[in-house]
Amino acid sequence: MREFVRERWDLVALVVLAAAPLVLPALGGALGGQVTTLFIYCILALGLNVMVGYTGLVHLGIAAFFGIGAYMMAILTVPMYPFQLGWLAAAIVSVLVAAGIGLALGAPTLRLRGDYLAIVTLGFGEVVKVTLRNLEQITGGMKGLNPVPPPGAGVKIGPLDLGLAFAVDPRWFYYLALAALAGVVVAMRRLEHSRLGRAWVAVREDELAASAMGISATRVKLSAFAMSSAVAGLAGCLYAGSLSTTADPNAYDFSRSIMVLCAVILGGLGSIPGTLLGVAILVGFDTVLAPWADSWIQQWNVNPSGSSLLSFSGWRLAIFGLALVLVMRYRPEGLVPSRRLAAELHEAHP
Amino acid sequence: MQFFLQQCLIGLTNGALIALVALGYTMVYGIIGLINFAHGDLIMLGACLALSLVAALGLGLGDPGGMAAAGPVGTWLGIALLVGLCGLFCGGLNVAVDRIVYKPLRTAPKLAPLVSAIGVSFIFMNVGLFWLGPADRSFPELLPAANLLPGDGLQFTWKDLLVVLIVGPLMLALSLLVRGTRLGKAMRAVAQDPTAATLVGIDVDRVIAATFFIGGFLGGAASVIYGLYINTIGFQMGFQNGLYAFTAAVLGGIGSIPGAVVGGIVIGLVRALSSAYVGERWTGAIVFAILIVILVFRPEGLLGRRTKEKV
Amino acid sequence: MAARIAAPFLFAALIVLAGCRPADPSLVKIVSSLPRTGSAKQQSDTIVGGIRMAIEEAGGQAGPFRVEYLDLDDSTAAAGQWTSEAEAANARRALQDPDVVAYIGTFNSGAAKVSMPILNLGDLLMVSPANTAVGLTKPGLGAPGEPGVYRPTGRLNYTRVVPADDLQGPLSADWARRRGVKKVYILDDNEVYGKGIADLFDERCREIGIEVLGHDSIDAKAQEFKSLMASVKAARPDLVYFGGTTQSKGGQLAKDMASAGIHAMLMVPDGCREQVFIDSAGAANLEGRCFVTFGGLPPEKLTGKGAEFVDRYRKKHGELPEAYAVYGYEAACVALEAIRNAGVKDRRAISDAALALKDFDGALGRWGFDDNGDTTMQTLTVSVVKGGKFEFEEILDASAVGEASPVR
Repeated sequence: MREFVRERWDLVALVVLAAAPLVLPALGGALGGQVTTLFIYCILALGLNVMVGYTGLVHLGIAAFFGIGAYMMAILTVPMYPFQLGWLAAAIVSVLVAAGIGLALGAPTLRLRGDYLAIVTLGFGEVVKVTLRNLEQITGGMKGLNPVPPPGAGVKIGPLDLGLAFAVDPRWFYYLALAALAGVVVAMRRLEHSRLGRAWVAVREDELAASAMGISATRVKLSAFAMSSAVAGLAGCLYAGSLSTTADPNAYDFSRSIMVLCAVILGGLGSIPGTLLGVAILVGFDTVLAPWADSWIQQWNVNPSGSSLLSFSGWRLAIFGLALVLVMRYRPEGLVPSRRLAAELHEAHP
Repeated sequence: MQFFLQQCLIGLTNGALIALVALGYTMVYGIIGLINFAHGDLIMLGACLALSLVAALGLGLGDPGGMAAAGPVGTWLGIALLVGLCGLFCGGLNVAVDRIVYKPLRTAPKLAPLVSAIGVSFIFMNVGLFWLGPADRSFPELLPAANLLPGDGLQFTWKDLLVVLIVGPLMLALSLLVRGTRLGKAMRAVAQDPTAATLVGIDVDRVIAATFFIGGFLGGAASVIYGLYINTIGFQMGFQNGLYAFTAAVLGGIGSIPGAVVGGIVIGLVRALSSAYVGERWTGAIVFAILIVILVFRPEGLLGRRTKEKV
Repeated sequence: MAARIAAPFLFAALIVLAGCRPADPSLVKIVSSLPRTGSAKQQSDTIVGGIRMAIEEAGGQAGPFRVEYLDLDDSTAAAGQWTSEAEAANARRALQDPDVVAYIGTFNSGAAKVSMPILNLGDLLMVSPANTAVGLTKPGLGAPGEPGVYRPTGRLNYTRVVPADDLQGPLSADWARRRGVKKVYILDDNEVYGKGIADLFDERCREIGIEVLGHDSIDAKAQEFKSLMASVKAARPDLVYFGGTTQSKGGQLAKDMASAGIHAMLMVPDGCREQVFIDSAGAANLEGRCFVTFGGLPPEKLTGKGAEFVDRYRKKHGELPEAYAVYGYEAACVALEAIRNAGVKDRRAISDAALALKDFDGALGRWGFDDNGDTTMQTLTVSVVKGGKFEFEEILDASAVGEASPVR
């Protein structure tokens, strides 16, 4: 019964989100861009969830793979390089490259114990950030690579120039990101119940026992690493596309990894709706709610002196931190715990 | 050669400071397995207090002549007082956070306290933002910048000496405490097995609180040294501080006290030498690349396996 | 479960509130997008002060229109400086609001790269009080493809009231040579503005025969530069040039330079020309040896309308404005004048009216926009830090660029 309700909840959300731009003109402007970013973070978080949620490996450098996806996308499409691939081809190549780099990082480091692995991923994230910044000839340094052309640039369907439509109206990107998100959610749900997904969970629960059952722990962990990196890479492609630039390498630093990790844990490890909710709350707060609240405060003129004590953004960090602490205090297994995890927890601590 | 020695000197001094912060991470990790993300920001708050105290005590009045105002004795006493007060403040705050935030989560899934720690770090940052304001603040130079070594070649100033003077005794005291006292024994016991420790009559919660206090105290001392040595503090300083210190703790073998010290010094040296011989711009990448390589070959960190001593 | 239900409602509420704004034909809005949190706040406060003064003095009117002003922040508390996302969101927001006809910003050249192509799509006039990166406007001087990539429509909408770095970098090198500098060590913060100007300085040094001992980039998030300064010291330069800003650790660099025992001169560009720089470096560390270039005249040297502005600003706020305040004021004056000249509430017409300003009598003197949207004003000044303040040193002559000046 509960499964049924959850199923329908997703459909309702999808229908509401798909219909929203048709009814609400605001989504054709700044808000549309912000919600698109939100969808992209959802994809990124779902990627991280494979590692942290399903397989139980703490990953502190997911932003690096996000960045690798974004930069690959840019390298394959910007005018400065000779490749100039189409959007779909570029996205596929970027995702594969991200997965490949994930494998290359995972292979030598998977025998590390939990927190040591976490530090390796953190270190990798820093290495990627510094490299992106310093290899100016390739990555454009702090300038980033731009302009990433909109999807379907140059494609004309009747009177409609698809590329121009994407560039002018954020709703096009909104739908693209929403479709990608829906696709990832479906794929994740399938994976979760597949042989591989169950192997991930088995390794998380007890690596030794899983090996004894004939599961190759190394291979399973590597596949989680690759899958996680690939999905993060996909999110990166969309990110670069929606901003039409890779932005600067600081967009892919440790604080982003941490933000996404918090979203996954806050929502509930290994739980798809939980992850989505976690992102909606944390990232939505930071990118949508806080700027709006600030501009309202300004328009009502309650803060003429501009004191940071009276502005919303002055309190942003504290609100954010308090939310994390409180949720963990009262819902340590997350807002929407995965059923499997919740069951285990209640067994372990009755 | 002289240049190399100079860089090593800088690396060692920086490394000592990193090690002091790393101890706070490693002790807490050793005892409850928590990566205390808020530790760097705790030190930032300590530095805020140090700045306010310097103003309140009138220590910085002689700026820029250094000791002029309070005289050499007054200045050194003042610094000792700062270390003590900031140490108590950070230690107390650390214990309070443990009581309020981490203690209810002792039986929760492993990642829950980690997220709480990140949350605490954000709250601390916000407090620091109100305390210091958004811009970096200058920390008064209490010590003269005069070179203690003869000649113009090698530079080793009072500030560098201060780092060594404070870090050395603190480390010594800590290792004596862990090795020689009842509390130290209890800490090692809890680190090995909290349940067994309870069975032999150790008050585990008190021991954990003591660990948080000592880690926080060292952090408070580090914050004063940081202010006097680097002379700039800002509400975002905790992050970078914490990143390197935490890396040092892991590099040395997280949970191991000598490991944290060795890790801190290795990171200090690697940073200095890579800045000197490869280029400042690559420093961040080189430190972490070396970390990854070392961990691939020594998965338990530099001293993680060799020493059994864990706190 | 409650949160699960609440979240979409919250979103819906936001969306509805965003959707119902009435359009008013007699109202125009000017927005600014500047870093309002983090360490650039002090500088941006005075820019916003300048903008507000310009609008107040115009009586909140421009021609037939009532003018409203909205001060947007392109930085976030978490980042402590401008972020691409915040800047992109500001640009989209301005574009979406039909009442907005002018966008004053950005402060950082890097941020301009994000918002320029977005605003260009709507022909929304952009007046920057502080962007100095060359590639934003000047063909052939920046990266390949610049500035075309910022103008997807091919039309111009971007202007700036401050001279670009193609003057500042080379003129600084010429000045250094006149001062007898033979060897320099160049550092930059690896950001669009800082690296850009340091590269131009570097290039010019090599042209006019100043030896470049080294050129390295710092990490603006690093806490100290003691090792770097030991390397600088070992190279024995006459002058250290730092291409960067106060926010990218200019102050810490000066501090570590002093404590490493380096006695060379320090030269920094206009990104450091704010009181916070002196405060964060410690006045004693800069005394008499730190030279700051600035595109235009410092507040105390302004004459005519500019001097009047400085007087009024001081009366109102009780302190001398930062160097960029007058640029904020000028940018707002340009926007108001363009709205007045266009006479219609049409973004294209207003952008064209701004670009057509050729003989504008403003606080900075008499100047106009050239075909790229750059100011024709070419005055640069050097100040030295003395007694914890910037003290005017000399005016650099722009006409000297291109010919090696004689050694004094």
